[in-house]
Amino acid sequence: MGNLKLALFLAFKSIIRGNRWAFIMIILMMSLSFANLLMTPSILSGVTNTLNQQQMNTLYGNIVIDPPSTEYYLSHASYIEKKVEQIPGVRGVSSHLEGNALVEYQWKEKESVLDKGKSGTWSVIGIEPEREKNVTTIHESIIQGSYLDGKDRDEIILGVEIAGGETAQTAEFLTLQGVQVGDKVRLTYHNGVQREYRVKGIFQAKEMFQADRLAFVTKSEMASVMGRTVYSDQSSQILVSTSPGASEGQIIQEISSLGIDAEVRKWSEYGGLGGIVSSFDVLTALIGTIGLVIAGIVMFIVIYINVINKRRQIGILRAIGIKRDVIIGSYLTQSIFYAALGIVFGGLIFGYGIQPYFELHPLELPLGQVSLAVQPFTVSSAILGILVAAVLAGLVPVISITRQHIIQAIWGN
Amino acid sequence: MIFVENLYKTYGHDSAATHALKGVDLEVKAGEFAAIMGRSGSGKSTLLHILGLLDVPNSGSVLIDRKDVLKLTEGQKARFRLAELGYVFQEYSLLPEMTILENVYIPAVCLGSENGYRKRAAELLEIVGLGERLKHYPNEISGGEQQRVSIARALINRPKILFADEPTASLDIASATVVLELFKKLNKEMGQTILMVTHEPEDEKHVDRVIWLKDGIIDKDIKSNINL
Repeated sequence: MGNLKLALFLAFKSIIRGNRWAFIMIILMMSLSFANLLMTPSILSGVTNTLNQQQMNTLYGNIVIDPPSTEYYLSHASYIEKKVEQIPGVRGVSSHLEGNALVEYQWKEKESVLDKGKSGTWSVIGIEPEREKNVTTIHESIIQGSYLDGKDRDEIILGVEIAGGETAQTAEFLTLQGVQVGDKVRLTYHNGVQREYRVKGIFQAKEMFQADRLAFVTKSEMASVMGRTVYSDQSSQILVSTSPGASEGQIIQEISSLGIDAEVRKWSEYGGLGGIVSSFDVLTALIGTIGLVIAGIVMFIVIYINVINKRRQIGILRAIGIKRDVIIGSYLTQSIFYAALGIVFGGLIFGYGIQPYFELHPLELPLGQVSLAVQPFTVSSAILGILVAAVLAGLVPVISITRQHIIQAIWGN
Repeated sequence: MIFVENLYKTYGHDSAATHALKGVDLEVKAGEFAAIMGRSGSGKSTLLHILGLLDVPNSGSVLIDRKDVLKLTEGQKARFRLAELGYVFQEYSLLPEMTILENVYIPAVCLGSENGYRKRAAELLEIVGLGERLKHYPNEISGGEQQRVSIARALINRPKILFADEPTASLDIASATVVLELFKKLNKEMGQTILMVTHEPEDEKHVDRVIWLKDGIIDKDIKSNINL
């Protein structure tokens, strides 16, 4: 008890009466190290969140109802839509009828049939525009022109990566090279049907790999292309969005229990972000480890200089009979105290400075706006990391000094 | 009290070896105030460090109160130093972050004295003439006063022997006299055994006995009848 009391007392006095500037610098260094340990993983988590959110907002909603694996289309789509809409927690349901088409722009300028001109093959999805608004955010992503109307028959909206132009990220020759709203495009569908459409709008969902490479027409138009008698009540996919707080798993169970011949999946099963997320995890661990090692080395140097300066004092303490454990305990207490203050101030800097800043000024990346997403694991591992680094940085120098011969510690010979 | 036999200490090896002690035999009785004197390199500090368990000899034996202290483990030596021995070093031996009262009672806290150590520390500081400056920090008092604080600290655990390693070397004559008179007072009034290394010839008049070392052996051992 006496030893612990003395170790705490020595640490307390050393902190209270020690060099103010050294104290401020140590706490600043600890705080910034801690904030850095939180920030890097949070940015990467923010990127993952944005990617996930975009996939939900533009491609999948929360839940996807697919035809059974042996079929291309779901039958009785309107019946399914109605039934699913009645499930509590369902916000919106939108049925898609999808096909592929060769899309051509300025096709009359082609010199021969073999001339590729300004064309490409993309997916075209037939939607009911008003219902789609309850599931995806395509209608909010129009950057030119306007969104589809339910009665539109000869109008189309194009993703920016199809339309091309300055806003597109894709190489120009892989796009229609600058289609404008009001221009005409000609679509040749996979079944040979050819239609001309006026470009009503161009959207940029900032999901450049998939959503921004889609084109949308109304579902009735698509059914007419594919054969109205067969396809008017068929669907290639039904997307379901849920209300905030509703359980996706619970709703999936209820859809499955409707007795529909379909496959029901959560959006994340389509996400395809697994590779990116695990790469980000590796990156986060790597950057976090480097940050921690640097913080540990700086702490080590600061504490080592502190201990070296007090070498004679430590020698005298040992000479008068103070146990090594007490001296080590005192420096260990100081290190833990510095780390704890660093965690508190670093947390404040992060929580009241960095995080609000990113919320007000999110990073504008090609994939969308990214702000910080702090995971509980990130916080707990950063706290643990700083504490372990501080303990090691405090223990190693003081153990090495207290192993010196007392005479050498006091008189330096 | 202290019984030393055939003590040898060599620093370094082979051609670089320095023979600091070459067979010292010595007995110090309880209640003595003895000075170890000699020229620089005579081995006086080495002898004091070995007797104070701060260093170990190459051979020989040291008995303190009939206990063979050289056979103690490092932990036991630390405990023995804390409980049985007191030290006064040459200079700057106080902890700058502590008040002088705290500096004095630290060894008592370490020994596990639960009660009364503050009172005893204050009493000791009163004895050394610093009873009014308990809350001062070392940098707020003079060198001579710091040495008197060191003496109070050395006495806090009621040591059997007080070791002083050139305690007046950094002090002016007036402060040195105060410190030596204090040692004498402690020795006469409290019966404190004191072993002091000094190189100041005038210190002789304050002590009972002077042990002269020359080239690692005892050259002369003079006991003063006046002081005894």
